[in-house]
Amino acid sequence: MNKFKLGLSLLLLVTFVSCTKKKNYEEKVLVRNVSAKVKGLDPVNAGDTYSSTEIARVYEGLLEYHYLKRPYQLQPNLAEAMPEVSEDGLTYTFKIKKGVKFHDNKCFPNGKGRELKAEDFIYSIKRMADTKNISTGWWLLDGKIVGLNAWSDKYKGKDANYSDSVEGLTAIDDHTLQFKLTQKYPQFLYSLAMVYTFAVPKEAVDMYGEEFLNNPVGTGPFMTETYRQTNKIVYEKNPNYRDVFYPSEGSEEDKKLGLLEPAGKKVPFVDKIIVNILTESSTSFLAFESGNLDFSEIPKDNFDQVVVPGKGLATDYAAKGIVLDISPDLDVTYMAFNTEDPLFKNNVKLRRAMSLAYDNAKNNELFYNNQGLEAQTIIPPGIGGYDPKFKSTYGQYDLAKAKALLAEAGYPDGKGLPEINYETLSKTSSRQAAEFFQKSMSDIGITIKVNTNTWPQLTHKTKKKTAQMFGMAWLGDYPDGENFLQLLYGPNASPGPNGSNYNNEEFNKEFDVAKNMQPGPKRAAIYSKLAQKVSDEVPLILGVHRTSYVLKHAWLKNYKFSTFNHGNSKFYDVDMDLKEKTIKSGILNKTVDKKTAKAD
Amino acid sequence: MNGNLNYILRRLLYLVPVLLGVCFLIFILFNVVAPDPVHMLLGKHPSQDQIIQLREQLGLNKSLFFQYVDIVRSAFTFDFGRSWSTKQDISTMFMNGAIPSLTLTLPAFTIATFTSIFFAVIVAYFRGKGIDLFIRISCIAMMSISSLVYILVFQYFLAFKWGLFEISGYEYGFPNFLYYVSLPILIWVILSLGPDIRFYRTLILDEIYQDYVRTARAKGLSERVILFKHVLRNAMIPIVTYTVVQLPFLLLGSLLLESFFSIPGLGDMTINALNASDFPVLKAMSIFSAVAYIFFTLMQDIIYTIVDPRIKLQ
Amino acid sequence: MIEQTAIKNRIKVNDMKNDSIKLIKNRSLWFDAWDRLKQDKIALVSLSIVLFYAIVALLSAMGLLAADWNEIVGPSYAAPSSEHWFGTDFLGRSVSRKIINGTQVAMSVGLISSFIAIPIGLTLGAVAGYFGKWVDEIIVWFYTTFSSIPGIMLLMSIAFVIKKFQDSLTSFFGSDFDIGLFAVFIALGLTSWVGLCRLIRGEVLKHKDREYVQAAGALGAGHFRKLVKHIIPNVTHIVIINTSLQFQIAIKSEVILSYLGLGVSGQPSWGTMINDAKEELARGVYWQLLGATLAMFVVVLAFNILGDALRDALDPKLKGKS
Repeated sequence: MNKFKLGLSLLLLVTFVSCTKKKNYEEKVLVRNVSAKVKGLDPVNAGDTYSSTEIARVYEGLLEYHYLKRPYQLQPNLAEAMPEVSEDGLTYTFKIKKGVKFHDNKCFPNGKGRELKAEDFIYSIKRMADTKNISTGWWLLDGKIVGLNAWSDKYKGKDANYSDSVEGLTAIDDHTLQFKLTQKYPQFLYSLAMVYTFAVPKEAVDMYGEEFLNNPVGTGPFMTETYRQTNKIVYEKNPNYRDVFYPSEGSEEDKKLGLLEPAGKKVPFVDKIIVNILTESSTSFLAFESGNLDFSEIPKDNFDQVVVPGKGLATDYAAKGIVLDISPDLDVTYMAFNTEDPLFKNNVKLRRAMSLAYDNAKNNELFYNNQGLEAQTIIPPGIGGYDPKFKSTYGQYDLAKAKALLAEAGYPDGKGLPEINYETLSKTSSRQAAEFFQKSMSDIGITIKVNTNTWPQLTHKTKKKTAQMFGMAWLGDYPDGENFLQLLYGPNASPGPNGSNYNNEEFNKEFDVAKNMQPGPKRAAIYSKLAQKVSDEVPLILGVHRTSYVLKHAWLKNYKFSTFNHGNSKFYDVDMDLKEKTIKSGILNKTVDKKTAKAD
Repeated sequence: MNGNLNYILRRLLYLVPVLLGVCFLIFILFNVVAPDPVHMLLGKHPSQDQIIQLREQLGLNKSLFFQYVDIVRSAFTFDFGRSWSTKQDISTMFMNGAIPSLTLTLPAFTIATFTSIFFAVIVAYFRGKGIDLFIRISCIAMMSISSLVYILVFQYFLAFKWGLFEISGYEYGFPNFLYYVSLPILIWVILSLGPDIRFYRTLILDEIYQDYVRTARAKGLSERVILFKHVLRNAMIPIVTYTVVQLPFLLLGSLLLESFFSIPGLGDMTINALNASDFPVLKAMSIFSAVAYIFFTLMQDIIYTIVDPRIKLQ
Repeated sequence: MIEQTAIKNRIKVNDMKNDSIKLIKNRSLWFDAWDRLKQDKIALVSLSIVLFYAIVALLSAMGLLAADWNEIVGPSYAAPSSEHWFGTDFLGRSVSRKIINGTQVAMSVGLISSFIAIPIGLTLGAVAGYFGKWVDEIIVWFYTTFSSIPGIMLLMSIAFVIKKFQDSLTSFFGSDFDIGLFAVFIALGLTSWVGLCRLIRGEVLKHKDREYVQAAGALGAGHFRKLVKHIIPNVTHIVIINTSLQFQIAIKSEVILSYLGLGVSGQPSWGTMINDAKEELARGVYWQLLGATLAMFVVVLAFNILGDALRDALDPKLKGKS
């Protein structure tokens, strides 16, 4: 018995050794990760970044952003051309590309995908308005399209009748689509590039019902089988994809990086995409380093893993062919005051003092490796309304001034000021950032109490206005300053996105006018003015405009970061030979001497 | 026999009050004191209409009593609705998640049990000597390190640095999944060895100190024969019962291991639900584990009676 | 949470013989135990280690030791050197000081969660074992319900609940109040009483029909007196053994709670340090992980050994068996 058990244990031990799966390099496969569970692939519920990137592989919309051009530019995707807009700016007419086919799926007769029609877009947009779907994108079109709200209200709480027509959504013929807006709404076109409005076939929704979110049927470059929530999504190239070509226009920079080499070639380039759901950042990091992932968009909080403090990409990565792609993003971080809180409500001096005591440059150094841009107003660079020359009066670090203002605010050296509660996420990086804020405030005698929360708890507190101060970031939904200024628009107060509940009559009035103007220098000037005025009021202590960090291996080609990454995977390419060679050489798992990495 | 049948039926019926109790506890935790989930589910720009509509859909407008009834109903019909964060049907999630969890926990448990018993026997045989002390101290030492540390260190060195195991991921089907679960299994085994060896050792030593052992020794039987022919056999009873009690917990998977190694099992599901405040999933997990727990403790008692006729079920 | 039923069933047969031990007055059992303990050198070392940690925690709490843990003493992520034995963290703070200060959280977590768990477990277990019948049924039903919900979920849920009452708690305890730590205390306390309850119930069940209890009854002692004055002192050793083991479970649990987001903020804890290491390890920063793990390893090891030694000393029947 004794010997038997011994033998058994030894056998088991042996099987543990060399337990890695053999890799297959024959197919062209793009492997990447996503750091949160995907909510299923129904465009109507696509809210978060993760899900929308996945959805955009399978579904497409009328418009999309040009892959390479910056600032971001809209261009037609399923539309033939940009729309004809009527003189009063209220009617948009689109011509839809002919011959676009939906994926082959059993929901269609004979399993063959049918041709895309104008009616499909009308159907998809009605789904956004259908209260039963509780679409997280409804806010984009709420009140904007003639008759749509009436339709939505009519069927509230009931099964909606999709044959009931809506005046503002008409299909003049199978390939002509017309929108009628209730007011001038220049941001309307952006919503047509967002996944919520992407074309969905009625047959699929009817057939799959509640399981539609797991059975995507679109017109996109990739398709996937039934999604089974298994931490891995596998996409196959769509064999019936129409002719789409790699862009031939780009900047000099793009050319230098080799991004224009495949110009004019038909996409998609890869045969398969594998998306691994890795919720633990440490795991996804190791997976990337070992070559299991072709690239990894590092969640903004974890980039400090890759970069040696103060320096660029650690030298050992360079030796392994790993490239760190740093690109500006349309984003802003801030610490919000709940301006309805009695402490902050009428004490602008207190808010200004706290802002002056916060060393934003140090914040940038510690947490963003100096790659962020210290925000002077809420509008990030790259869109109208951003003024590179403006420096906000109270956004500069000045301890002396801070102390003086604090005394003027009625709390000399912080005496008499109660403890201030600061809400943040329990993630390590958020906690550390909060600790830094706490330390900064203690320098002028203010005590900050840091409370950690899960994301749902934090959302709850901010929406219910029970948070006194909290840390937040805002990523632009589309490249228009309106999307950022609306964070300070009175009527958008909680539960809307205006978490600081800032409400300034003048601001509201001017914003109302500006947001309906067509983009141009006049509008940009108004946006600038508004943003700068608000900076002075300090409803938020602005942090930085963050950059995105993407780690790529040398064998990933044609990659360019985009804030609006919908559908860009069709342009990526993978050099499988180089990948195989690099991984087999074993260089990826070695550590290069960290001491040499300190070389400047 | 009739008496025993009665007992079994009674114990099965005992499931009902416990389940009601669990539902009540869940009710208090999730429906009464927990924060309103609506805002979290609606994204950045909720409209008032949507808030109302969602509350209606989630059944939050019903009176507290009916909310409790809903929970009880879901417990008995095993229809838990859809997850708030992933919008998937929860019963399907359960079935999908059970398999990966089991491919990790069953082999891990088997290996751990056999290995632990093996070492426990050695330790019992050589009690008092050097190897006994060595193994016991190793056990305590292994138990003194947090499981999180094991995961971090092993994943970094064994999987990443030395390339011996896969870093993360999972594939269905035999033998594919073996590649992915082997490191988690190894970690599980190491985590279990400490407490398990000590426990089995205690059981075996309990037997060894019995009178009949002294008698056997007096009769001239060798230590080895005593150990294997008599002690081990008698110790099997509590060993088996202990083993059976562990089974329901195997189904729940290991929360940390599945999360770090990206194994789509029930443990991974639970961690995601915890982070996303996904109440339907959490409620479902609680009910499910309550049922499993009761069922298996009943099995434990039944096996006990069958195996040891001295012990009567009361 | 190891089921002790197996052991208990075995011991049942031997009980009759060992009853005689119980007739001896309690006091000499303790002296006996201390005698035995004194002889075990390793146990004594463990005891002194535990006391050492307790003193460090106390000194730290009073601000006499490592009070300047929040001070920036070097560059971010500096490696261990003769100046900073465990290097620095992301802000440049001394890891060694954080470890020393973190002892507070570790020791208090164990202590306070025990303070919560013991009264509950002891009372419910004793009452259930002694009165039996429907009282027992209810209590058993209660703890069965409790233990059938997975521990982690119970912990998280209790913590949620506590955080909901943040405002009233802060006004009660004062502004220095750390809700994260408080939630950890309560959550751990409320989930660890079940094991003790079961053990106590089993012991009390055995004792209540013993001769010495009946003798006390014959002398006119009522239920309360019999329970408190006679039975409970005879089960106290279980409380002590169980607590010493629960203590280290609490310390290890703090790491997991920290991972789940239930961490302590505002002061360093070994749990948050180990969790920070998740991101640090990949870039070769190992010292915070090493330091915290080492600190925890030593004290948990000491508790384990101490617990074993206490069991050997206080429950001579089980001597040499664990």
